[in-house]
Amino acid sequence: MRITGKRPGFGFDRFSGLYLWALFILIFGIWEPHLFLTLGTVHSIASEQAVAALLGLAVVVPLATGAFDLSIGATANLSAVVVAILQSQQHWPMWPAIAAALLIGVLIGTVNGFIIVRLQVNAFIATLGMATIVGAVETIVSGNSQPQPPTSSTWASLTQFQILGFQAIFFYVIIVALISWWFLERTPAGRYMYATGGNGVAARLSGVRVGGWTWLSLIFSGTVAGLAGVLFSSQSGPSLTFGAALLLPAYAAAFLGSTQLRPGRFNVWGTVLAVFVLATGVYGVQLITSAQWLNDMFNGVALIVAVSFAVWRQRRARAEPAPAQPAESAPARADPGPGDGHHGSANGQSPGLRGSPAGDSAAPGRAP
Amino acid sequence: MTAPADIAPALAVTGLSKRFGASVALQDVDLAIGPGEVHAVLGENGSGKSTLIKILSGFHQPDAGTVAVAGQPLPFGNPASSYRLGARFVHQDLGLVDSIPVLDNLAIGAGFATRLGTISTRRSSERARKDLARVGLAVDPGASVGSLSPATRTGVAIARALREDPGAPVRLLVLDEPTATLPATEVERLMQIIRRVSGAGVGVLYVTHRLDEIFTIAGNVTVLRDGREVATVPTSSLDHRRLVDLLVGEELAVAHHEAETLQPERERPSGLEGRPGGERPALSLRGITAASLDGFSADFRAGQITGIAGITGSGRETVLGAAFGATGRTGEVMTAGGVRLAPSRPDLAMRHGLAYLPADRVRNAAILSLSARENIALSSLRPFRRFGTMWRRPERRTALSWFERLSVRPPGLVDLPLESFSGGNQQKIMFAKWLRREPAVFLLDEPTQGVDVGAKAVLHAQLVQAAAAGAAIVISSSDVDELAAICQRVIVCRDGRPAADLLGGEVSARAISRECLLGSAPATSGASPGGFPATASPTGGSLDQERSPGT
Repeated sequence: MRITGKRPGFGFDRFSGLYLWALFILIFGIWEPHLFLTLGTVHSIASEQAVAALLGLAVVVPLATGAFDLSIGATANLSAVVVAILQSQQHWPMWPAIAAALLIGVLIGTVNGFIIVRLQVNAFIATLGMATIVGAVETIVSGNSQPQPPTSSTWASLTQFQILGFQAIFFYVIIVALISWWFLERTPAGRYMYATGGNGVAARLSGVRVGGWTWLSLIFSGTVAGLAGVLFSSQSGPSLTFGAALLLPAYAAAFLGSTQLRPGRFNVWGTVLAVFVLATGVYGVQLITSAQWLNDMFNGVALIVAVSFAVWRQRRARAEPAPAQPAESAPARADPGPGDGHHGSANGQSPGLRGSPAGDSAAPGRAP
Repeated sequence: MTAPADIAPALAVTGLSKRFGASVALQDVDLAIGPGEVHAVLGENGSGKSTLIKILSGFHQPDAGTVAVAGQPLPFGNPASSYRLGARFVHQDLGLVDSIPVLDNLAIGAGFATRLGTISTRRSSERARKDLARVGLAVDPGASVGSLSPATRTGVAIARALREDPGAPVRLLVLDEPTATLPATEVERLMQIIRRVSGAGVGVLYVTHRLDEIFTIAGNVTVLRDGREVATVPTSSLDHRRLVDLLVGEELAVAHHEAETLQPERERPSGLEGRPGGERPALSLRGITAASLDGFSADFRAGQITGIAGITGSGRETVLGAAFGATGRTGEVMTAGGVRLAPSRPDLAMRHGLAYLPADRVRNAAILSLSARENIALSSLRPFRRFGTMWRRPERRTALSWFERLSVRPPGLVDLPLESFSGGNQQKIMFAKWLRREPAVFLLDEPTQGVDVGAKAVLHAQLVQAAAAGAAIVISSSDVDELAAICQRVIVCRDGRPAADLLGGEVSARAISRECLLGSAPATSGASPGGFPATASPTGGSLDQERSPGT
């Protein structure tokens, strides 16, 4: 039955995020119409979540190849600190300073790739270690004191310049999302990455240079994380600690996103959607109550509920079709896999909704 | 309930029958194994051995017949009661966890020896040592299973199966092809273990493909063919050749004749003699050594379908992957263009016209999360790329035309994820993926395993068509009927290299089976039980000399 039905009627699962979004708007619109139903709400959600969305986009690409990159938070943080120090203390002009910060992201991604592909260290471990090292470098560079933000007005307006009431940073997110989407969905590189993440062995036997694509995906995530750091620094001023707190939301968005629009696959627009749906919920809740813990509680619960639902859906879909293929794939995927020679394996055959990695990834990000 | 367990046979099977739909898996099979007897059960793939074992272990319900273990009737379809009556099973996949110690492997299932809820290491290891001693193993219980030799690992699995359980003493041990993946040097160690077990009064049901082992270890042999019991005889009344006759049937000469009259066209493209002078083989292998291969050499010709047969462990299952570069190897692989292919580089092999469909689709070939279209496209994205961007429309068109050509069900839904297709249709999609490259050499491992009959016919037709179009097709298969049906030539592997090369009219299921099984030491069966099976394979030696290396 499922096999022949092209798609379920209302797309309640593919578009559940959109329905949820509508539900949030409805509830909070009724509850707090004067505060919630304003353009100001739209503008502030759009700009406040921009950096989180960028980091979500940063992790989608390595996740597509089956590798975790847990160093993105630290990378963004280092990049934010470096771009500020270069300008305010070393008196570099803005653009070279930005280029240097981005280069740091590229470099970190390259080293990650080397460790994972060449030294065959599990991606989860490699990037966790790298995150700690990058944190140490940040302390060295900053002397553990928060750098002065650059004073030039172009620096602040880089992200805060307003277009149609939106901060410019929102449009950067859209641009990065468009590029990532094109890259993943419309280039051979993206196809090879999805193949690598879907089944690395099969991809290799189809002539795909599995290691190379994994490596490239990590360079991509490092670079985007570097960019996110620069933009954060321009938008909110350099902070020494913001990065770690953004790691979980980035993964939450990516995993939630993999249940949306193209279920079963880490995808760009699903991730962007997830970021803004969650942000809308949090924003609304904060209008009603000022409890400090609500933000974290909301994000965590939403992630677990959404992913459990997706796993359930996937299992149901898998239970139905086809004789001649028992559940071989399940045990292989249960462990995130130090034994999985090549790369970190966020997923066995389809996005890693099952098994432990999603849950585990929360831990390192929660450092205070 | 006080049956004289020591006198009653360890296993008594009478009139056992089982059908799956229209096909007969077992028909009226009788089997009796006394205490302390090692009884071999032989049969080709599909002869009913595994059905028999699955009934004994409580997995299947038979349609008719009775089974008694140590005199007690076995209630069917219940693994627990099978255990309670004293039947123990060691499957080919031993079910050990390599990364943890022997001790823990032994305790999994049976439980650890504890003191106040904490694992008592001393008592646990004592117990483990006793379990191991029972099968004659002196292994450190703290050693990790992965560090042990294959035979010792099998021994550990047996020790675990035989663990003492006061509530259910062991009466019967069923070993399902325990030597299939053992190197020859290790087999004798296992034989010692089995002798020790049977010496303790346990009946052993021993399933194997290796005939020489039967003469070493088994007192009686039951031969199954097509679900029927062909013979149950004392091993001493048999010799090697007679056993092969029982297994594959005696009418070999008749089969020959049949094959010739049915497929006279086979003679034509047979390759060796009538080939155009000086033309290079599409693929030649020289001295390939990898996993179970030991200096394998062969040539494969364009326009020919070549089969590779052999029992598990003969090299059959390794050779194509090694040639393609899926696994590492030493030795030389050369294409018709004179290019030497690097090992472990599938991408380079593909560039030089090779294609490889591995066995175990789910693990090694299919990308279940991607759509059928994306799986088909993956083998070459170039036709769909323009201006650095992939274009969906030509990709869809290609996928749709292959769906039609291979009649994939459901038709036209190329954007569904691969996992929503049935096994047979997934395999068709895998075929499409490779055939669209029009490979010069198409290597296939178990191409129709787990595929329904209809899909099988479609896939075979595609291979015949591809060969007619000039591709060299090489099929490695454990299904001799499949090889006999579509191959013009079959190379039979034994001990990691070609042992026989059947051409044209010589190709028949019986001939292939016979060559697969003939194997070691046909004249002096059982004379040198422990040593290497004598690799006196006359044809194997001549193969290398006959074919001048292409240059």
